[in-house]
Amino acid sequence: MTITGDRIEHEIHIQAPPEVVFRFFTDPVMHDRWLGQRATLDPRRGGIYRVVMNDTATVAGEYLDVEPPHRVVFTWGFENNPQIPPGSSTVSITLTADHRGTRVRLVHTGLPHPAIAPHHHGWAGYLAQLAGTTARP
Amino acid sequence: MEEQLRALAGPRRRQILELVRDRELSAGQIAAHFEVTRPAISQHLTVLKAAGLVAERREGTRRLYRANPAGLAGLKQFIDRFWATGLVRLKNEAEAEARPGQRQPTAGRGA
Repeated sequence: MTITGDRIEHEIHIQAPPEVVFRFFTDPVMHDRWLGQRATLDPRRGGIYRVVMNDTATVAGEYLDVEPPHRVVFTWGFENNPQIPPGSSTVSITLTADHRGTRVRLVHTGLPHPAIAPHHHGWAGYLAQLAGTTARP
Repeated sequence: MEEQLRALAGPRRRQILELVRDRELSAGQIAAHFEVTRPAISQHLTVLKAAGLVAERREGTRRLYRANPAGLAGLKQFIDRFWATGLVRLKNEAEAEARPGQRQPTAGRGA
């Protein structure tokens, strides 16, 4: 993992072809299998990306770029939070085929910098509310 | 994380945290900023302290409060863990999906 200022990066290798992995970012039923409770997805430029995480937190944004099966970019923020509103940060997913499957690279940019007040408190609060969703089995 | 969740869930506590972000204040000085009772402020401070978000220091008979940067640093990691955990689930699900005969193709949402 890397956290540099307002940027978070992750990379993971998956033993499945990019075509399969890609659908987990664009098909709501498949999205539900790995993130949040219920996704509403319209995977085209300007289409909705909305994920109910739990009773108190819903992530919302829109797709900026959808290039099957290699690239998905969507904006990301929280409903009912003026400090991190829907669309205020950007998540870029890049899928690269390698001989055994897919290398998935996730870059999350535009997050409020922790050092910049007063955003980080609201940000932290909403992230804290999400804690329940990562603890699920 | 659960304690921090609860501590930050209250807007008043977030306001208090903001107030003591860059300076040390007594409970009385903090209370002066809000139209709530002093005991209410003390209770908020207790919650913030328990969550590691606020540090308390005694000076004579006074107790001074200040945001604890280390507590907030812990929260900064949250978004990173959010994706780290999510991507591991993605890996498991995608690999199950790609394994022939291991899983029925998903058809519709449950319930």
